[in-house]
This record gives sequence, structure tokens and C-alpha cells, in this order.
Amino acid sequence: MKIKTILIPTSSLLFTLLATSCAGDRSEEEILNAKDTIQISVDVPKESPEYEIFFQVPSPGEMLSFIKSVGKRDKSKINILNATENINKYTDEKSKALNFGIYSTDLSYCSIFNLGSESIKYFKVVKQLGDQLGLSATIKPEILARIEKNIDNTDSLVVITDDLYYSSFGTLEEGKQGNVLALMVAGGWLESVYIAINMVDKFQKDNPVVQRIADQKYTLENLIQFLKKHEESSPDVKQVKADLEELMKSFNLLKEEKISNTTLKQEGSKKLIGGGINLVIDEKIFNEIKTKVLKLRNNYTQNQ
Amino acid sequence: MRKSIIFILSSILISNIFAQKRELVPQASICGQFHKKYCKLEKAKGEKWEYNSQSRSGLFSQGMTSKIRCVIYKGMDYRLTLCAETAIGDKINFKIYDSRTNELLFDNASADNTQVFEFQSTSTRPIIIEVFVPEGATESDNSGLKSKEAACVGLLIEHKKTNIQGFTRY
Repeated sequence: MKIKTILIPTSSLLFTLLATSCAGDRSEEEILNAKDTIQISVDVPKESPEYEIFFQVPSPGEMLSFIKSVGKRDKSKINILNATENINKYTDEKSKALNFGIYSTDLSYCSIFNLGSESIKYFKVVKQLGDQLGLSATIKPEILARIEKNIDNTDSLVVITDDLYYSSFGTLEEGKQGNVLALMVAGGWLESVYIAINMVDKFQKDNPVVQRIADQKYTLENLIQFLKKHEESSPDVKQVKADLEELMKSFNLLKEEKISNTTLKQEGSKKLIGGGINLVIDEKIFNEIKTKVLKLRNNYTQNQ
Repeated sequence: MRKSIIFILSSILISNIFAQKRELVPQASICGQFHKKYCKLEKAKGEKWEYNSQSRSGLFSQGMTSKIRCVIYKGMDYRLTLCAETAIGDKINFKIYDSRTNELLFDNASADNTQVFEFQSTSTRPIIIEVFVPEGATESDNSGLKSKEAACVGLLIEHKKTNIQGFTRY
């Protein structure tokens, strides 16, 4: 392993540490201006190890935006969200982290579906749990003022609540709170699927929301792998991973239907990737997934 | 003396970060939200690209490869934008594979090393995006500093709903 020079963006945590401790000692030559970088020396492993794969999980807001985009706007379904009064049930770290994810999704729902006054209620519980999880510097009280100011502006509310989710994610990741992050992501994902399921009044194979629920098989695979990275150090994560693996069994019942061989063609400015596999869902499997999601979500929100 | 102490402390801190596990290289926490800050393209009028939370940044040294597994949905357009600090060069290579079949879907080496790729898939699929920083990619250095071999690389993913043409049931 050799000592190498690396460049770190000034926005990083390390920059803060170095800048505050040695800014006065550094000569101009040592400071790189390009793209706000600072030069420091670290050990960097030269050889690439076996390629580790990072498993990404789309944010709950993306699922909710999709639901809205296909025309599901039933405001009366506000009662499907986790009641804010339930916050008193969350006294242990597992339930706090899971329900922080669940409430964050509910907050996104209120923003996306233009339920401004509900957004304030949900922001307050997100803030309360966030404070208890060490996110008080990220979820600042000023955000509430921004929400109140934009209460009738859906686009702005969505931006505010998305930022809140991403910055909470970033803070937990950078703060090495992987266990809390894993539970938050799991709770957020489960709530988004729960909401999607509740938007399906009657099973129809061709309903795009039903198809999007089936496609969650791939996201669930990623989520389980993501949890796997943190299960060793946390029995809570291990338990949630086991819960989701049980749910995965139902997703594994989905049939795979090959459309055609993969094709690639240029279509205007974009490449069209054709072919592939469709996941086929029938009513029986849908109901099985629905039952498990409802049960799991109920366990988490009731802290059972 | 003070400089030396600070240097030693910084080295220990950062070495510890790297030593914890290989998974920390590429290091999301060092590079943070690099992709959000530097990979953004100028928005053309009327463009509706939205940030996709599967975006990521990491710390790369030359010759290094890293992979992320994402999910892309049918009915959505995606745009991948790769960016890196100038110190690491502007010839970052990326490949996209279908993660179930391992089929290579795109290799920017066969497209003039483009750092922006816009695409749509007719089916939802999990994909692997493999990012590779070639050896010797460092640009000539104007700062008077010696060559820099590790720097932040950002992968920004954006999405928007595909414009549907023709009749549709929903």
C-alpha cells in the first residue's frame, strides 16, 4: 500500500476537520482551487479488490410520484398513513428507525398528493424521531417554516420533503449509522409498497400500479442485500432482513415471461433497450404479497 | 511540528477509514454528494429530469473498478451522467449490464467515452453499472503538484416519465 495524494471535495466531513485545524498553516501551493478541492495524503489500496457491488434502493418518493403520474389521486386515502399518534409507541431504536422511514414516506405522500396541512403534522413526527436518532442538525426547525410557506405549492413541498429524505440518508451514511440507515430505508420502502397496494381497488393485471408492485421484486432484492451489510452488527437489522426474506418468497412466485432477446437501438437522443423479461403477477400472488405487506407494516407501526 | 502532528492525525484517521473494510473504497462518505454538485447538466428549457436516489459518489484511484446495482423501470427515461475531479482525468469508463443475464447493454468506450447516456428500457430490469478509472487518465497538471491518482467520481442518475405515444389503456 502506498501513500498517495487524493483530492477531497470541500463539502466533505474530512475537509471540515482539516480546514479548521490547519488552514492557517497551508501555503497557497498546497491549496487546489479547482472544483473546491483540498489536497491531503492518505493510504489508498492500489489493487482493486474483488468488485464489491453497492445495492441501491430507489426512494419511496419515486414510487409515490409514479402512482400519481398514472392517475391515482385519491385524497380520501389519507387514513391509510401511519397515524401520527403512534409515535408514542416507538421507544426503542428499531421502531424509531423503521417508523422514521415510514413517516418520511407518509410525509412524501402528503407533499406529492397536495395534502399541505397533513404535511405539517407528518413533518413534526419525522422531526421528533429524527432528533432522537441524531438527525437534529439535518432536520432543522426552519424546514417547518418552509413547508408552511409552501403549503399550497405541491412542487416546492415535494422538493423540500425529497431533500429531507436525501439529507437524512446522507447524514446517516456519513455518520456511519448504517444500522439506523438500513432500518429507515426498509421502513420507507415497505410504506411505499403498502401505499401502492392500497391504491389498487380491484386487481387488474394490466394496471400499471400492480405491475410496479410486481417489479418491486428487484428493489426488494437490492434492499435485502443492503440490509445484509449491516446485519452482523445489529440484531434488529437481522430481524428485519428475515422479515423481508419471508416477503421475498412471495415475490419469487412471480413468473418470468421473456419478451424477446435484448435489442439496442437509437431513438432520437436516447438508446432504447428492448426485450428482456416481464414479471407476471396474478391475483393469487398479488393477494399473498398484499397480506404479507399489510401484516409486516402493521407489526412495525404498532411496534409488535 | 504542528503541521506534522496534524498530518499524522489526519493520516491515521483516514487510514482507519480505508482499513475498516475494502468496501469503503469507493468511499461515499468522503465524496458525499459530489454527484449532486458537479454532475448536473444545464437544464434545457422544458426538460423534466428528476433526481434519482440511486445516484452515488465514490473515491476512486486509477485502475480501479466499482459496481452499483440499480433498478430501472419500464415507462421511464433515464439519464446517467458521470463526472470526476479533473485530477483523475476525463476518460472514465462505464458499462451497463443486465444484472440477471449479464448481457452488456452499453459501453461508453464504444461511444467516444461519452459521460452522458440517455436511455429507456421496454421492461423493468435490475442493472449493474460498472465504473472504471483507467490508468494514466490523469490530465496534465497545471497546479505544480505531482500527479493525483485518487479523486471523487460521481454518477448522477436522473429519470422522467416517458412520453407515451399512441393509445394507452391507462
